[in-house]
Amino acid sequence: MSEQVLKKAPDGVQMAMISSRMETIARKMQNTLFRTARSGILNTAHDFSCVILTADCKLLAAAESLPNHTLIGPDLMCQAVLKHHPVLERGDCFLHNSPYEGNSHAADHCMIVPVIDDEGILRFFVLAKAHQADCGNSRPSSYLADVKDLYEEGALIFSATKIQEEYKTNHDIVRMCQARIRVPDQWWGDFLASLGSVRIGERELLNLGREIGWDMLEGYATRWFDYSEQKMIEAIGRLSSGRVVLVSAHDPFPGIPDGIPVKVDVEVDTAQARIIVDLRDNSDCQPCGLNLTEATAKSAAMIGIFNGILDHHVTANAGSFRRIDIRVRENCCVGIPRHPASCSVATTNLADHVTNPVQRAIAELSAGHGQAATGPIQPPGMGVISGRDPYNNDEPFINQVHIGISGGAGTPVTDGFLTMIHAGNAGMCHIDSVEVDELHHPIIVHDRHILDDTEGAGTFRGAPSVYSEYGPWGGNSLTVLYTADGTITPAAGARGGGAGGMSRAAMRRADGSVVDLPPCYGVTLQPDERMISHSSGGGGYGSPRERDPARVLHDLAEGWISVQRARDVYGVAVKGSPEDDNLELDIVQTRILRSGRSELAVAV
Amino acid sequence: MDTHATQTRPSANHIRMACDTGGTFTDLVVEDGAEIRLFKASTTPDDPVRGVLDALDLAARHYRLELGDFLNRGAMFVHGTTRAINAIITGRTAKTAFITTKGHRDILVMREGGRIEPFNFTVAYPEPYVPRRYTFEVNERIDARGNIVESLNETDFIATIKKLQALKIEAVGVCLLWSVVNPVHERRVGELLKLHLPDVPYTLSHQLNPTLREYRRASATVIDASLKPLMSRYLDGLTNRLQDAGFNGRTLMVTSGGGIMDAAAVARAPIHSINSGPAMAPVAGRFYAERDFGNAIAIVADTGGTTFDVSLVRDGRIPWSRETWIGQRTRGHMTGFPSVDIKSIGAGGGSIAWVDSGGILQVGPQSAGSTPGPVAYGRGGTEPTVTDCALILGYIDPDFFLGGAMVLDREGATRQLRMKVADPLGIKVEEAAAAVLRLSTEKMVGAIEEITVNQGIDPTSAVMIGGGGAAGLNAVAVARRLQCAGVLIPEAGAVMSAAGALMSELSSDYAQLQFTTSDRFAGDKINEVLAALRKRCLEFAEGPGAGALDCQIEYSVEARYPHQIWEIDVSLPLDQVKNEDDLKRVTDAFHDTHQRIFEISDRNSNVEFVTWRAKVRCRLNDRPAGTLPPEGDFAGGRAKRPVYFSELGWSDVAVHRYEAMQPGEPVAGPAIIESSFSTVVVDPGTVAERTASGGLCVTF
Repeated sequence: MSEQVLKKAPDGVQMAMISSRMETIARKMQNTLFRTARSGILNTAHDFSCVILTADCKLLAAAESLPNHTLIGPDLMCQAVLKHHPVLERGDCFLHNSPYEGNSHAADHCMIVPVIDDEGILRFFVLAKAHQADCGNSRPSSYLADVKDLYEEGALIFSATKIQEEYKTNHDIVRMCQARIRVPDQWWGDFLASLGSVRIGERELLNLGREIGWDMLEGYATRWFDYSEQKMIEAIGRLSSGRVVLVSAHDPFPGIPDGIPVKVDVEVDTAQARIIVDLRDNSDCQPCGLNLTEATAKSAAMIGIFNGILDHHVTANAGSFRRIDIRVRENCCVGIPRHPASCSVATTNLADHVTNPVQRAIAELSAGHGQAATGPIQPPGMGVISGRDPYNNDEPFINQVHIGISGGAGTPVTDGFLTMIHAGNAGMCHIDSVEVDELHHPIIVHDRHILDDTEGAGTFRGAPSVYSEYGPWGGNSLTVLYTADGTITPAAGARGGGAGGMSRAAMRRADGSVVDLPPCYGVTLQPDERMISHSSGGGGYGSPRERDPARVLHDLAEGWISVQRARDVYGVAVKGSPEDDNLELDIVQTRILRSGRSELAVAV
Repeated sequence: MDTHATQTRPSANHIRMACDTGGTFTDLVVEDGAEIRLFKASTTPDDPVRGVLDALDLAARHYRLELGDFLNRGAMFVHGTTRAINAIITGRTAKTAFITTKGHRDILVMREGGRIEPFNFTVAYPEPYVPRRYTFEVNERIDARGNIVESLNETDFIATIKKLQALKIEAVGVCLLWSVVNPVHERRVGELLKLHLPDVPYTLSHQLNPTLREYRRASATVIDASLKPLMSRYLDGLTNRLQDAGFNGRTLMVTSGGGIMDAAAVARAPIHSINSGPAMAPVAGRFYAERDFGNAIAIVADTGGTTFDVSLVRDGRIPWSRETWIGQRTRGHMTGFPSVDIKSIGAGGGSIAWVDSGGILQVGPQSAGSTPGPVAYGRGGTEPTVTDCALILGYIDPDFFLGGAMVLDREGATRQLRMKVADPLGIKVEEAAAAVLRLSTEKMVGAIEEITVNQGIDPTSAVMIGGGGAAGLNAVAVARRLQCAGVLIPEAGAVMSAAGALMSELSSDYAQLQFTTSDRFAGDKINEVLAALRKRCLEFAEGPGAGALDCQIEYSVEARYPHQIWEIDVSLPLDQVKNEDDLKRVTDAFHDTHQRIFEISDRNSNVEFVTWRAKVRCRLNDRPAGTLPPEGDFAGGRAKRPVYFSELGWSDVAVHRYEAMQPGEPVAGPAIIESSFSTVVVDPGTVAERTASGGLCVTF
């Protein structure tokens, strides 16, 4: 790079170079955390995120992470750091998990490091967010839905707490955590992993700034935001203008017998290239752990938008966000929580009821865009299990399993992604290996398979439900806590697509009989008893009768749907049978079935 | 193409040959005494053995021998091929069935979850490697401790075999839960298959890849089974045709683990061959690092036409990974098989340069490949590539590409780059070309940084070894940007994979899962496992390894801290754990390794041990590899030509012949160093010198 261009506005070549460097830094942070973490939630499920922000708290770069961690939240948390610590020094590091100041739920511990240059000027922030296996809640789960407030939830809350000064850890705070968190060694391991991640990010950014100059980096951020905004303008330009109000609803829960309706008001303005989502006309904070935080409410709406524009070349950063306006209000269950409302489950359940109607609304406005609803989350197949391990001196154990989940929504161009998990997660987390689960915990997984005919039918169908059945092994009992949504309200389809299969919680008794269980529940299974879980399927996109018959045939051959469903729902007739592996499209019958005789068009 | 100036007759019966069939070229390295020679023929995809024979013909002609006479002097033929991986990518493997435990038929469908690019919904959920309709459950269950929960129902399984027959299944992969702890059911399933379906090959997971985690084990198993019919046919054909042509030596195959195996053994477990090409570069890199840098940590970079592969060598060991994918992570299929840890990105000579709608320069990920190839090849390519840029900048001599085998169209390249990149960016065409090289360098640096951080290596303490046909274009720039101690372009760098094949050792790996922890260490059980592994290694040494110069067994264990999920490979300093001191040595080795890779360790913590491994390596020859003969063919080389560097603009830059350079005669950059197979750009401010052993070392 020659000297005279080392000024403020980098050119197209320099932009490319710096962008590549930034991506590498975020990836290095992510790899460090992933490789050194101790808890399964991090190193197996990948439930963590690493981001870089500008000195004025704008999201600049993120390693590929969970969208509900990264879009909005890191900015608010860095603002909290600046508010409580107006003077930042090199060597500082802050622990932050306050749901009232930009975090998601209390179980997500964030490490925030200000990147201070050699002159003492704040240049960037790096942030690593990691979901803890335990955060000191009153009961052994990092998701407590049936608690009336923060006090009953019981989590330790940190508000921009200086955990390191001059690169030295404040062990007073460490001991507080270790005294309260159920798996202190595991927490400490994860703490070190997160710390390593932000310190690597800091080191690399300092090197980059020294090498190419801080003014150049600032110029880069400015142009990068403009560039991303321009991409967003183009993407919005491909939608159709209009306004749609859609309603979704969380199932009834203990403490909220009528469930929680969520109303989203979505306006797309292609002329102004803006999308506005208004969430203000919703209930106040509820006496339960489902309330969203400002970060998760706004991120959830934005995920619906980014899913809906169907253009992954638009970088999600403060630049593209300029074209989005998410309106929330204080003391709202899908807005800004008022202390001491509990936000223990703020990343998943209600958040999905914000994301889903937003992406459905875009679908209703603009053919070829938007998505159906992704399946609601937290069936017992991803419950928090705990007990005493007979294979390990009856020591206590606790972990969240990811055994049976699915949920991907049908999109305008692809079928629902089977292991999407839920909308806010985007499938970025992993699902468990049965062998690893059985080796680590005294459980046995008897069954996990796809449930046929549970996909939201559509031109592009949703992912089907997944059945799982597991129980204690080794002679002790096993406690399972879960907060299943979608047992009453399934994932809706879009543009004529069908709803996904519903979730279900049940148990198999020792005599083999099956009894249904409540959707939000904790059950202690005795030896010979088993948990049964159905995950929610995703909704379908477009009319199933317009689905390419070849795809219907494939689903049929592969046992995802039955012959009858192919005929009744998709209007596809076949010759031969899946068992004999000789299926063929019956073109004549299919044409008749699809010719529009309404009595054949069974509701989907 | 034969570019060698001298023709000396090879000495009898000692010739060793390594042949790497790539996408475009079939590279042949012939080692005769202390000299190696390189030959390149076109790959013949319809019948790849023909390309191999063509390359051998070139070699025979060089030595002025009939092919039969030439082959008759060969002791060893080592082959690397992309045949297996291509069959998988193009879906031309056998019709394969998957057999698994009742309740778990969707192991291959649900995989381990995971997704990349959160907002990219244009990529569909991947299809399972074996369709669900060819997946069958067996009534049986074993628990994590190896206890039988439910016995194998043989009657039901025999009925399943009848279905396999009716479906005309061509191969069967069997992976039952916990077969790695207690293989009794899986073994019995194998016996029943052999009895009732004698002509259909099958693979049992506990034998092929005894590792924890059912998806990756199952995936390895079905991939292996699906390749058996095809690879048996191919390897039989190769062996027979080489024999018919006069070869009486040993035919070996390079493996994904960086070793070699008898072709017949690979036919029995063909999954070993799926990553064989890239796995050879680090083997060669290890040799060069040892030879020229006293075993320094080495970053081995292999730049081909479409990909840039990075691997590492530390303490003479090549790190392994079990996270290898065919295709993209989470979108492709995991092989679940120990393989040399290689990070591969789409950045090679063929990567296309373009400017996006926001005015930002991009290089790749699209590649012009070999067809149509770069614009300069004149085969219809219209998208400017990295190779085109190197040509525009004067790095490559248009009349001397591949020793003059192909004349390049510099004007065409310039025209396209101007239109597609320089004008949209509003810069001069040579500056655009330099920018493309710089960005490509930056992407390579990113890939290297990723793999080094994963292995806990600081690039500034490492040397870089640059191999592959396109390495020289920016190897110096990459190493300089990383502040490496130096960069070596080996004399056989352009065919580093093939050269690596000559250096690799006959090897075999064995593993046994046996979970235990340091606080309740099951010493007797572990010693039994280690003894059994040792016995299998010795059997190998006395079987395929018979006659080797020496055989070594290395033991390792996959271990982790409690609650960690990913194990790390730890070399064991002993082969039996007899007392507390021994156990301490083992746990210390774990803490040290963890510290080295992750910069943290927790010495007060227990350690969990999962899978125990032994690798036997048999050295078949006593010299690693020869060097290029010092004399060379200078035809086509020029003393000076105009070359563009951003710092200097256009200037007349000295062009040196690689083979003519002598140790002790450094060449200061800017300079271009050419050999028949590659070009090395020596940037301004750097110094290149031939090492005593023949490589080219550039320092800065």
